[in-house]
Amino acid sequence: MWYLGVVLMGLAVGVLVGLMGIGGGVVLVPAMVYLLGMDQHTAQGTSLFFQLPPLGLGALLIYWRKKNVDLWAGIMCALGFLAGGYFGSKVAIGMNSRDLQGAFGIFILVAATLLWFKSRPQSGEKESGA
Amino acid sequence: MLDRRLKLLLILMMASVVGVAAGLFGVGGGVLLVPLLVLLFGFEQHTAQGTSLVALVPPVGILAFLNYANAHQVSWTVGLLIMPGVFLGGLLGSRLAQKLSPRRMRRVFAIFLFILGIWQITSAWLIKNN
Repeated sequence: MWYLGVVLMGLAVGVLVGLMGIGGGVVLVPAMVYLLGMDQHTAQGTSLFFQLPPLGLGALLIYWRKKNVDLWAGIMCALGFLAGGYFGSKVAIGMNSRDLQGAFGIFILVAATLLWFKSRPQSGEKESGA
Repeated sequence: MLDRRLKLLLILMMASVVGVAAGLFGVGGGVLLVPLLVLLFGFEQHTAQGTSLVALVPPVGILAFLNYANAHQVSWTVGLLIMPGVFLGGLLGSRLAQKLSPRRMRRVFAIFLFILGIWQITSAWLIKNN
């Protein structure tokens, strides 16, 4: 039963991945901490682990067909992530779990604020999708 | 052409910074990348999401992941169980994204993240358990 719960959790997060074009870790880390009782460091390590295979590939193909992809910008972002991730994880491992959990909360708040600003109407933006 | 190259260079720099946050918090980075591509680089919303998915196809978190694995902070079982769900959910979500109003979706997601962030901060620093 426990296993099934984790699979379903992955499915729910996957919908968000396709919907928002994100990796899913931002939702899965808190889910693992609160629903599975994992410690913050292990939740983050596990989040990085599940993102190793190209799970967003299926979602990407659908964006690709609609020509909603800037390939070179994507490659630049991948390079930046690779390098930045190395240093960020070094910092995280040295922190205590509780502070890391709080810092993660602040990180989510920043992300939420950015999303909120971006969701305000912009000139030339279509009101509805597709 | 030069303009395009400069833009790509700036995107690389921005992604490196986002990558540090990604490694620090064990997330893919898409949740920051998508709004930043729109806000700073004038990407159209669907293109920003598609581009973010490109950046997440290679195992960009691998260096960060190895740091966590060396520190024994990975739950292999949970990670493996999450993978199939995220892949399938991703397909579903990306189809849904073509149909829903992206603005409303982002607002709902932003509010959701906001609540999650407050919860994380509260449970980490304000509630004194154990």
